Amino acid sequence: MRLALDELRSVHPALRGDPIDLSRCGGLALQRSGHASPVRSSIDHDGHEGTADIEWAFQDLAILEVLDSNRVTEDGAEAIALAYANSNAGWVVKRRLQRGESADWLLQDGTGWLALEVSGTISGDPVARLEEKKRQVARCSLPAGRLAIVVAFDRPSIVAASA
Amino acid sequence: MMETALLALTEDELNTLVSIAIRRAEVSDDVNSPTASDAWHEVMVYEERIASITRPEEITGGIARVGAVRAALAAGQRLEAARLASLYLAEEALPLERRVAMERAFERDREHRARRFSALARTGRLAELDEWRATASRHPRVFPVAA
Repeated sequence: MRLALDELRSVHPALRGDPIDLSRCGGLALQRSGHASPVRSSIDHDGHEGTADIEWAFQDLAILEVLDSNRVTEDGAEAIALAYANSNAGWVVKRRLQRGESADWLLQDGTGWLALEVSGTISGDPVARLEEKKRQVARCSLPAGRLAIVVAFDRPSIVAASA
Repeated sequence: MMETALLALTEDELNTLVSIAIRRAEVSDDVNSPTASDAWHEVMVYEERIASITRPEEITGGIARVGAVRAALAAGQRLEAARLASLYLAEEALPLERRVAMERAFERDREHRARRFSALARTGRLAELDEWRATASRHPRVFPVAA
């Protein structure tokens, strides 16, 4: 699987007007952890294992001096998670959800809806974080499928679980 | 002015705007910015507009209706939140799950205020905050909004 962060706004048109460049944050978060494009990431989605090659345009790390580190991690994780959700199953962003909905994004495909909760970690245990996020998105009451994705940046990995 | 400009926008355009506004408002909350209530007001305006062009039984329509109420509460506009909730709850097609979500939004707001203004909560005077906020909102802001 190929995850091209620079194509994020093409596959998710709803992100086009957003001043926050999630793709850039994805690249920054990966480079901050010492990676260069493309980097191979492991995938574990409900126990099914695979790999993805994540590609991005080179970013100047000097910009990290003026950005909030946690936001770069979270926004970078969102970039990778949204790219994965599209590549894996064709999900497309409809809108961001308020925190009270217990999920970050509402996505759609031709036939249904998905509530997606995303988190990122630089060096923590993504599986432990995934359990927490899975419990969170399970509380989402919308008539939609529920998916939690955690992205780890040090040893790039994408862990995902349906709730 | 802003409300008039929104009339020309499509649902997809409004979804993009509300997505941007939600993120800005949540980040403002995280850093205790004094502009957070203005940011939530903007979210409320977008959610209201989406609600007006979607049906209550649609997933996006239900999200927008609860979202407008939540945003009004987050902006400290509790009378407006109550007005919107009354309007949306009167729609027969609004799913039960959305009705429950709306009730929970009010519960969480009450819990949040009780923690933040514990002395008032202990003496049963939280309602005074709403009265003060309603009065303050009718006058130019001399002091930052606290509630």
